Amino acid sequence: MIKASHLVTAIALVSACGLAPAANAQLAAHKDLTLPIAVAMAQTAVQTCTSQGYKVSAHVLGRNAEVLVAMRGDGTGPHTMENSMRKAYTARMQRRPSGEFATAAKDNPTIGALHLANMIPAQGALPIKVGDDVIGSIGVSGAPGGDKDEACAKAGIDKVADQLK
Amino acid sequence: MFKTAYRLAGLTLASALACGAATSANAQLVTHKDLTLAMATAMALTAIETCKGQGYNVSVNVVGREGEVLVGLRNELAGPVTMENSMKKAYTARTFRTPSGKFAENVKGNPSAGALFLANIVPAQGALPIVIDGDTIGAIGVSGAPGGDKDEVCAKAGIDKVSADLK
Repeated sequence: MIKASHLVTAIALVSACGLAPAANAQLAAHKDLTLPIAVAMAQTAVQTCTSQGYKVSAHVLGRNAEVLVAMRGDGTGPHTMENSMRKAYTARMQRRPSGEFATAAKDNPTIGALHLANMIPAQGALPIKVGDDVIGSIGVSGAPGGDKDEACAKAGIDKVADQLK
Repeated sequence: MFKTAYRLAGLTLASALACGAATSANAQLVTHKDLTLAMATAMALTAIETCKGQGYNVSVNVVGREGEVLVGLRNELAGPVTMENSMKKAYTARTFRTPSGKFAENVKGNPSAGALFLANIVPAQGALPIVIDGDTIGAIGVSGAPGGDKDEVCAKAGIDKVSADLK
């Protein structure tokens, strides 16, 4: 009797705690940027800044901060490629505009994230969101001021806003 | 006599300096043509679309005169390695001024060739130099097709797309 009840309990436990949840587990489903959408964003960002007289480079990163599109603007400074990538990386990691991270770093210069690879406290990149899910980011560098870079990054997102769903 | 000789030597030196200065004054800055972002983007997109048309998902990099990345496009349907590989192929084609496949052939008989140990060099077909009148101004690299020859066809399509402007 005792043995039998133990066995039943054991089976019940395994079923309830181990196997059943595993069998019910689902793969994560999420949306990601496509190359055409990322290209449209980067081109729009570069062209927007160009039309304002600013030479910039742009990066669009995906969910895991992998580079989807990198564009070196004509006549830009050599650092703009690295800088636009790192701004975008920062926006993706922080899930907020890189300019907000820059402000946070100003308030707390020993903030730990400053010491991670590729993080940079500089305005000019925005996270790309579908609802509350950050699926990537776009970073711009080269305009005379991070606010101007950010405006071009925003133009890139706005261009494809109706597809971000 | 010795003094005169020194003087002569001094004069000769002065002349040499004068000539040197004159050469410097006459020196000109180098003029060269470079790819624009618009052209590089057109090349890269054409390469991706050409391969897509053949059923291959590829990533593409176009590098400029100094091997710097002008455009990098990651195909979300291609493997993660394709972004790095297409860049390295392009860098290889640019720096050796030859198709990366030719470089791969060249080193096949010499697996310890020094060039293989430089950063960003890869012995793999799929990239072509972009040349204007013998001057290599960049390169386009493709990765993701089942075979470097197929990558190279798409790279060539990218160059052909803008060949009328490569002058």
